[in-house]
Amino acid sequence: MNLVGLVFGAMFGFVLAAGQLHDYDTIHATLRLESFYVFGLMGLAIGISAPLLWFLEKRQLATPYGGVLSLARSKIERHHIYGGSLFGAGWSIAGTCPAPALAMLASGASYGAIAVIGLFIGLVVRDQQLERSNTLITEGDGERSTLPMTKTLGAR
Amino acid sequence: MGLLPNQLPWWIAGPLLGLLVVGLFAVSNQPLGASGAYVQTIKTVRRDSDSVSWRVFYFVGIFVGGAVATILGPGFELRRGYTALHAAGWSEPLIMVVVLFGAIIMGYGARVAGGCTSGHGICGTAQRSPASWAATATFMATAVIVTFLLTSFTALGDITPAVVK
Repeated sequence: MNLVGLVFGAMFGFVLAAGQLHDYDTIHATLRLESFYVFGLMGLAIGISAPLLWFLEKRQLATPYGGVLSLARSKIERHHIYGGSLFGAGWSIAGTCPAPALAMLASGASYGAIAVIGLFIGLVVRDQQLERSNTLITEGDGERSTLPMTKTLGAR
Repeated sequence: MGLLPNQLPWWIAGPLLGLLVVGLFAVSNQPLGASGAYVQTIKTVRRDSDSVSWRVFYFVGIFVGGAVATILGPGFELRRGYTALHAAGWSEPLIMVVVLFGAIIMGYGARVAGGCTSGHGICGTAQRSPASWAATATFMATAVIVTFLLTSFTALGDITPAVVK
């Protein structure tokens, strides 16, 4: 699974850098509504993956590393809106987001390191807040902290 | 090296990203969220967890892939980045503080919301998650509003972003 992670990370970083998504101007041209680039890219990514995932879920696909494919569909809660607002503000101010910040640094832009360090600080501060108040950390539907360890190769 | 164009068109990069999301789900039943990779990486660095999560390898992979695409495309060049902020006449310390501040609230917000542009914005929405659609709509709208404020009230407004360099 570690190799799978490395390979998918590399392909992901490759597409982000090839699309110049690590570039401040690419992000800001879209956020200024002067370019369609990021909206079109995200829209097509969702447009391609949503129906395919729907189909694979319906077929109850057995994945080699994670058991039967199961999609997450959480209800909307307040923290999605609060967090989303903060994230959106930071996205605009720093002109990058978590994965592109890494690609930015990899492309030779040294200030990408500042963005990566800032991201780490923000994430850790939130985690420590939750730890102190004994609140369970809720992973969103696009993140999953643990990998279900049921190996179901082959037929289900 | 110029083997790749300086910027892939969105109608090529978008579907590639979509196929990657489906691919990782098909192999491991896992979403392709990046903020979770940051969290697992910091846990590993601080030795908070006994086992190294695959997301740490994923984190390293993003870096490697970004470097490869840069070398094949416009070419690797050590620089500061954020040319628009420099062009707007912002001082070096100010740019550093602004980028750091933006990144901190971005990281904090991502942890509160439970995901980022890749997690909620692509993987969550593709799973038809109401929470992810709400988070995505919120951060998109906020980012557009904050960008409007930045261009209206700072020297950034005089700078035209270069769409392809």
